[in-house]
Amino acid sequence: MASKWFVIKRLLLLIPVLIGISTVVFAILHLGGNDPAAVMAGQGASQEQIETIRSELGFDDPIWVQYTRFLSDVSQFDFGESYVLKPGQPVWGSILADKLPVTIELAIYGQLFGVMLGVPLGVLSAIKQNSLTDHITRIGALAGISVPIFWSGPLLIILFANILGVLPASSRIDTQYFIEGPWAFFGHELPLTGLMTIDTLLLGNIDAFVSAVEHLLLPAAVMGIYSMALISRMMRSSMLEVVRQDYIRTARAKGQGQKITMLKHGLKNAFIPVITVIGIQFGTMLGGAVLTETVFGISGLGVILVNAIQAGDYPVVQAAVLVFAMLFTLVNLTVDITYSYLDPRIQQ
Amino acid sequence: MDVDGNHSRRSFLKATGGTIAAVSLAGCSGSTDESGGTDGGSSGEASGTINYARGAATKSLDLHKIDDGESVKVTNQIYDKLVQFVPGKNEIEAGLATEWETEGKTITLTLREDVTFHNGEDLTASDFVATYKRFTDPEYEYYIGEEDATSYAGNTFGEVESVEATDETTVTITTKKKFAPMLRNLAVFAAGVMSEKEIETGEQFDSTAVGTGPFTLDAWQNEGEKIRLKANPDYWGETPKSEFVIFLAVGENSTRVSKLTSEDIHIIDGIDAEGADRIDKADGVELVQKTGLVTGYMAMNLEKREEFRNTKVRQALNYAVDTKAIVDSIFRGFASQSSQAVPPAVPGHNEDLDPYPYDQQQATSLLEEAGFGDGFDFTLTTFTNPRPYIPSPSQAAQKVRTDLKEVGINVTIEKKSWNDFLNYTIAGKHDACFLGWNADNGDPDNFLRPLLHPGIESPDGQDWASFSAEGYNVYNASGWANQEFMQKVEEAQTIIDDDDARMKLYNEANQISHDEAPWVFLDHADELRGVKDAVSGFKIAPVGGPFLDLVSVE
Repeated sequence: MASKWFVIKRLLLLIPVLIGISTVVFAILHLGGNDPAAVMAGQGASQEQIETIRSELGFDDPIWVQYTRFLSDVSQFDFGESYVLKPGQPVWGSILADKLPVTIELAIYGQLFGVMLGVPLGVLSAIKQNSLTDHITRIGALAGISVPIFWSGPLLIILFANILGVLPASSRIDTQYFIEGPWAFFGHELPLTGLMTIDTLLLGNIDAFVSAVEHLLLPAAVMGIYSMALISRMMRSSMLEVVRQDYIRTARAKGQGQKITMLKHGLKNAFIPVITVIGIQFGTMLGGAVLTETVFGISGLGVILVNAIQAGDYPVVQAAVLVFAMLFTLVNLTVDITYSYLDPRIQQ
Repeated sequence: MDVDGNHSRRSFLKATGGTIAAVSLAGCSGSTDESGGTDGGSSGEASGTINYARGAATKSLDLHKIDDGESVKVTNQIYDKLVQFVPGKNEIEAGLATEWETEGKTITLTLREDVTFHNGEDLTASDFVATYKRFTDPEYEYYIGEEDATSYAGNTFGEVESVEATDETTVTITTKKKFAPMLRNLAVFAAGVMSEKEIETGEQFDSTAVGTGPFTLDAWQNEGEKIRLKANPDYWGETPKSEFVIFLAVGENSTRVSKLTSEDIHIIDGIDAEGADRIDKADGVELVQKTGLVTGYMAMNLEKREEFRNTKVRQALNYAVDTKAIVDSIFRGFASQSSQAVPPAVPGHNEDLDPYPYDQQQATSLLEEAGFGDGFDFTLTTFTNPRPYIPSPSQAAQKVRTDLKEVGINVTIEKKSWNDFLNYTIAGKHDACFLGWNADNGDPDNFLRPLLHPGIESPDGQDWASFSAEGYNVYNASGWANQEFMQKVEEAQTIIDDDDARMKLYNEANQISHDEAPWVFLDHADELRGVKDAVSGFKIAPVGGPFLDLVSVE
């Protein structure tokens, strides 16, 4: 029962957090000194036209009226209409809804890359402390943390796409494939998920699936390098600490083999701090999405955010930042909950 | 080129022989190009796919809602105009109309009879009338709405009094006054013909499209980022060479180049100088280059700065800025120097004018004569993102500052993002600014009228107007209002039966603006495309293109 209350409590705590974020986003855009009515009216508009738009959209209302309206709209997932990128069209339905799965897919595969390589490397490093393997792993981790995406991305592209020619450098899938829904499930027509690797399978197009995976490898690696480095370091130090605990010595003393001791008793306990890192990293990864998407020509939330900032399309900027923030908080929530399962003491 | 242009226009106005006359036009203008005749009707088998990558998604396919190149590139494949540009040239040929006759304020056009829309309906004159009304007539039930209609409603049809279907195959257009650019306006993308039946369903045409063009819309994905077109087997002209065209949006310039050089993309546009170098060096791809119908300039604001009201000062700045260095080094040779607003490939371009030479001494003595021997200060406002007419604005602004420093003028550079920049300069807040223009209809009027005519009368004896005056044409970024120039441009607009006389007026207008120098004339930039060697039949079309129906891929 306790865990249920814990989850509910954490969910309720989300509300003030989200209100806080919305307020900051609203404030930044409104204090920025930009005149949204002028942006919307476009070039060559007369002062009269600008005034009309201003009063039509309520930009001349007092700021607190605008603020309450904004909050109530956002709480219903209504982010308003785009000014520039898709004038007059809803920001969520026409612009962001499509992009969200793109970025989520990228982040998931990036994280997968980080975890699948980071955890074993960390464990290896800990078990063989101060050996050559350990040193190489640690130096590698240091490099991974230090290398920025805008450098590692183009470098991998040059190596794998331009020189070796084995992997594609950009997009989500070969140009020839048009992945379109709906897909049939026992006679029901269901919409696609927007995740390319899932959708191609749902549609049963194996060639397209292979193409989608090929296209994900480089960006996922670029996004995952940092996370891999951090996870392996964390895994190593956590493992080293656990190894010194009494229960490990007890396990050894009663004659249990090295492998079982490490994997059964060591790994599970060492995982607790690593889970936190994985969660936080997932959030950071969303930030990395802006760079990765740009470098690899993938049009997800990150690219849209940058385009919207450049074009002065404030409702889109507002909405994209909010969506990023919501994702971040949701991931953190998930981490907290996972954590509480691994270590029930957290709930108290 | 202007001679060719004159020639062809004259041929046209006389052409009552219809199709054959139109087809022979390419020959007339001294070209050996075979693509002029698109109405051969011979049908080859369409096969293969052209993958075309560009910088951004198509916003909409609705001709009446779009004003961006990324949308127009696609609609040009789907919709036809009554008359159209000859592929790769700034000349007009028969489109959906085979003949036309201009008499005073009316143009009478005769439509082809064998044309069907992608929905199977036959093309009739009432389709054009419905299209026109949807774009411009608030009384019409299916009017697009004032908010959605782009400025092309005014640009294209602003001078039109009425459009009528005289019979099934005859369209009569009456203008408010004699208006020479009207025929060319009909070749602009925004004058594409939609199906009346489709219009009157009241549906949206953002992601659907029913035209008469060489390709039909086959798939529309991710809000216009990826679009597939299919060859239209019933096309009235020659069947497209390729069965499919895929348009893909690839935002990052360098990534787009990589997709051309090492992936499955056949043609790309939006190439910066760095990309051009890469394409030039890469194997299996070619950099195609052609002078565009574009003009880049630095406008000096006569209203804001008293110094600029002195012609000698303006001339001095033209002598003091080394535009050759800007064109050769900063734009890396992908542009040529400019002497006037009208680019070389547009009729009315005055060939006797040379760009101002780089001459510091001349500049200094002009400044002394004007009483500014000690120089002065001003702020140059520029955008930062590359535009087709000024590919590297920040570096060009630096060069202007360095050059003017040599003659004692101190320039402060003020950078703004594109939208802020437009709002700022349209309000006339700038001392001087970079700007440029792309041709819409390839007519000289389309350069001189919007860019250098104030749209209002200037006070007596004053050659500048105020940006805040009622009816001021805000695209005239220098505030320049020269009576003689204005008269010539206004008169030329009404000459419909004597092209030589009309072009003579434009030549003179160009001479005046060159001498009076309300701008520092910078450049006419090249259009660049990257094309795979496997592609054949592609040519750069500065207006009306790309003509992908002529393109095939091995």
